[in-house]
Amino acid sequence: MIKVEDLSKTFGKTEVLSDISTQVNSGEVVSIVGPSGSGKSTFLRCLNLLETPSNGSVWIQDYEITNPKTNILKAREHIGMVFQHFHLFPHLTVIDNITYAPKQVKGETADQAETKAKSLLEKVGLTDKANAYPNNLSGGQKQRVAIARALAMEPEIMLFDEPTSALDPEMVNEVLDVMKDLAKSGMTMAVVTHEMGFAKEVADRVFFLDHGKLVEDSPPSTFFSKPETQRAQDFLEKIL
Amino acid sequence: MNLDFTQIVPYIPFMLEGIWVTLGFVSVSIIFGFILGTLIALIKISRIKFMVGLADAYTSVFRGTPLILQLMIIYFAIPQLTGYNIPPFFAAVLAFGLNSSAYISEIIRAGIQAVEKGQTEAAQALGVPYRPMMKDLILPQALKNILPALMNEFITLTKESAIVSTISYLDLMRRAQVVGSDIYRNFEPLLFVGLIYYLLVMGLTMLGKLLERRLRVSD
Repeated sequence: MIKVEDLSKTFGKTEVLSDISTQVNSGEVVSIVGPSGSGKSTFLRCLNLLETPSNGSVWIQDYEITNPKTNILKAREHIGMVFQHFHLFPHLTVIDNITYAPKQVKGETADQAETKAKSLLEKVGLTDKANAYPNNLSGGQKQRVAIARALAMEPEIMLFDEPTSALDPEMVNEVLDVMKDLAKSGMTMAVVTHEMGFAKEVADRVFFLDHGKLVEDSPPSTFFSKPETQRAQDFLEKIL
Repeated sequence: MNLDFTQIVPYIPFMLEGIWVTLGFVSVSIIFGFILGTLIALIKISRIKFMVGLADAYTSVFRGTPLILQLMIIYFAIPQLTGYNIPPFFAAVLAFGLNSSAYISEIIRAGIQAVEKGQTEAAQALGVPYRPMMKDLILPQALKNILPALMNEFITLTKESAIVSTISYLDLMRRAQVVGSDIYRNFEPLLFVGLIYYLLVMGLTMLGKLLERRLRVSD
């Protein structure tokens, strides 16, 4: 579960997020959409404290991560993240990328971690790439490894920051398919995306952000057919 | 032409022994300088202002004064204060190690800062603590990028090590001088140890290339 209360973020004098309050329940999939510069990524990055909110509070499961006393590393074990530009560790093989954190952070044995990594690689369809280095993979393959790496920590929540935006068009679907499977399996997901198809098909709710405000929060059927605000209508007209 | 290499033949074992002396304190200095330089680099990228200031001052002093002066202060001047004589080996390791750590800290700092910020974020998002993140994820990538610069520093140190001859430490250079004054001929012994220095540096260069190739497997 993710709970956000009065979340604000300012960079210098610019207010990037203002007074966002919402809740995402277990098993829900939320798509976060909005024009560029609307604060979508910043919002997502506040959810695992890669960005420190200027105001307000964020709960991840039982952790109030905005409380300085909270052990943020412990909280982050429950919340995986996938980045636009993958950020795989280039000096480690695919399998080592996946097993590193479970071994280092959760104290899993090499055997445990490897068995799990192999089954994750099977899930994302990359069994044959276990010993390859990231530089020898295509964008779509890299992103699938990145998803497997995050899942290896067995998080309850997954954050996706424009996971398909850096991919060639023909590779978008292989990543989206993995994400759809994940959504079906009951994972709680927050996905910043420009893939409206994914939002329509998979999301339980769509967040529309504009100028740092959470302007709409509605099911995709409502959001895409009859958005409440003018700003959302304008946005949809431009992209659809 | 007045060159006669037969005259130095009896002195060759004596001069060759200098290789081990030079290699000995140079390698200890390199290791000492590298470890200290890494620690100073980590301080420089930290956010503890006071420590950063200290690290910057350290670098500034050791880069801003001649190495031979630092060596002489450690070997000749400090005993005057403390009353204890410092063996030439330790004086050399201290002077070269401290001096080179100042340069190495700058090289490593640049290397760490050149690693993409996303790498740190990915590690943080996985809950990896600072220490293993630096050791296993960030530093290996930094080292790969700065290897040529580091090798440069090690090569410089190897050659500059010849100035320990000024504190009468019997390294390669000092031995050439001793032989020179013994046989009243300088050209031959100097040329001889010059060749040895050159070979040492070539060996170091090859080692660097080998290491670079090994680190490149992930490309």
